[in-house]
Amino acid sequence: MGAFVLRRLAIGFLAMFVALSGSFFFFSKKFLPLSETPVVHNYWVWLRGIPSGHSLNDGLLGGHLLATVGSAFGRTMLLLALTLVIVVVIAIPLGCLAAATRGSVVDYGVRVGMYMAWAVPVFVVAILLQQGFGRIPGGWGVGWFPSVGWAGQCPNGQGIDPHNFQCPAAGHGLKHAGEVIYHLLLPALALALGFVGLNARYLRNSVIDALDAPFVTVARGKGLPERVVIMHHALRNAFVAFVPAIVSDLGLLFGAALAVDWIFQLGGLGTLLIGQLALNADGNTPVDTYELMLALLFAACVMLAASMFGEVLLAVLDPRTRLD
Amino acid sequence: MSSVPHTTVAAAPPTERRSFTPTWRRLTRQPVAMVSGGILLTIFLVGMFGPHFVGHAQVHLTDEWRNHPPTFSHWNLFGTDAIGENVLVRTIYGLHTSEITALAATAMASIIGVSLGSIAGYRGGWLDVAIMRCTDLLGIFPLILVFMAVYTYFEPVTAWTATFALTIFLWIPVARVVRAEIASIREREFVQAARSLGASDRRIYLRHLLPTAGGTIVIAVTSLLAQVFVLEALLDFFGMGVSPAIQNTIGNLIGAGENGVFTLGEGWWTWGFTAGLLLVILVCTNLVGDGIAEALRPPRQRA
Repeated sequence: MGAFVLRRLAIGFLAMFVALSGSFFFFSKKFLPLSETPVVHNYWVWLRGIPSGHSLNDGLLGGHLLATVGSAFGRTMLLLALTLVIVVVIAIPLGCLAAATRGSVVDYGVRVGMYMAWAVPVFVVAILLQQGFGRIPGGWGVGWFPSVGWAGQCPNGQGIDPHNFQCPAAGHGLKHAGEVIYHLLLPALALALGFVGLNARYLRNSVIDALDAPFVTVARGKGLPERVVIMHHALRNAFVAFVPAIVSDLGLLFGAALAVDWIFQLGGLGTLLIGQLALNADGNTPVDTYELMLALLFAACVMLAASMFGEVLLAVLDPRTRLD
Repeated sequence: MSSVPHTTVAAAPPTERRSFTPTWRRLTRQPVAMVSGGILLTIFLVGMFGPHFVGHAQVHLTDEWRNHPPTFSHWNLFGTDAIGENVLVRTIYGLHTSEITALAATAMASIIGVSLGSIAGYRGGWLDVAIMRCTDLLGIFPLILVFMAVYTYFEPVTAWTATFALTIFLWIPVARVVRAEIASIREREFVQAARSLGASDRRIYLRHLLPTAGGTIVIAVTSLLAQVFVLEALLDFFGMGVSPAIQNTIGNLIGAGENGVFTLGEGWWTWGFTAGLLLVILVCTNLVGDGIAEALRPPRQRA
């Protein structure tokens, strides 16, 4: 087990190093100011500055990178956390309901709904929610939520409340937390929809697998009520397949979170990376390549952690799938 | 993981000669797959040949025809946009570009992925290691970031460079899935039996491995098609991919974007219909894929 994890980690870090180096070569050739000096020289300067933290913290265009990229990373993580909560809260009851009423109209309805939910591209959901529920000056939606921006922020003059034309205050303490969740709710819902669809279907299938197992027959034979059989016996065993699956999909969720982040202008990693790449695609404006690299490093760590943690969790929970 | 008893697994080898007809018959018995296949085929045919019939999107210069809501007269089913272009006509052109990109990229990525994945799964060796390392590399960054970076390289992106960019990366997931499936089938009893009877590698591959892996391959290819449609639309929507000044695509019709700043049209009809079309394509693609995989599965394994 330990050897397996170590081997996966070594391969993962090697792949990360190669991918980051490749990105550095690409970006430093593409974007000013580094494109004016030789690529190999840039790479060597960047690589040499990593152990001392110089390449990770001192921006090419000034500023402390760890602070800016770190706060963006924090926002993305908060978005992911809220999304996961929504996914778990909705997907588990739905999956159990579909499994318990297997073959019925309810089961069929849930499955069709989940199928559609998974097929809808996340950016379409995001713009629909933004248009329908976000406060957009002159929009047709109901305007219950802020359409763009983080708590207490109105980027580019957008997100101004059409009623009083002031930026909402960020507040302190609990009020601040409430404001943050209020701003995150629409993006998190947009992100969650597809993954609720995916995970409810996973869970339904694994609960059904568990319900067919002999131990459930024994539990029923003991005279336990069906609710207890599903909650305590089937669901607990279904988690063996469900939890690693949801963790492995975190990488997918992270990619989708970048797009949603950009659509709602949350100022997370997505806004940072997509903004830098998209706005300067012509290569004529200076781009802080070191900042891009730090953001990519964070992104790569999340992806790697998700896939590693998913595999390890599966091996721990379900010994049959162990590779060694 | 599945609760299928071992006896069923051992009884699975497809001993009868496989032909196309029974699979087709099983497919026709699935109304959902057939209907969604029909819808998909219609959409693709309209997208493929539509531009030859609709002419060019006529620009109405009168104010009356700008941002006009959909009506049932004057071929104005999808309304008009801010400069008075017919959205229906633009959608057909956009569908044409997106569809050719998606179909071509999926076809090429699938051919490369299935061939390399099969060889790697059957023979192992350096190709096997190479594919696994490619998978590791591709898994380091979210796909959307990978394509954003690649698209900045190809600036300005056209349908052809988009196809190329999608192909050179997306064969990898197909190859990984096919490799794993072939490698697991290779160890099954019926393949060993065929080998002990002296069957050649070619015969084992074409007669036993490929048909048994068929369902997995179909699912991999159809979900790749859906994925390509989404990725392409997303990048064009963000204004990083094909620009509307070059070609209309589904993505840049939903949001006419430039350099990452997307703007939706004023009326809901300027983007709503295109988004809906994308949705229908995705749902139908997945349903067709599931239907074909179900029809390809050997009879005893079917639920």
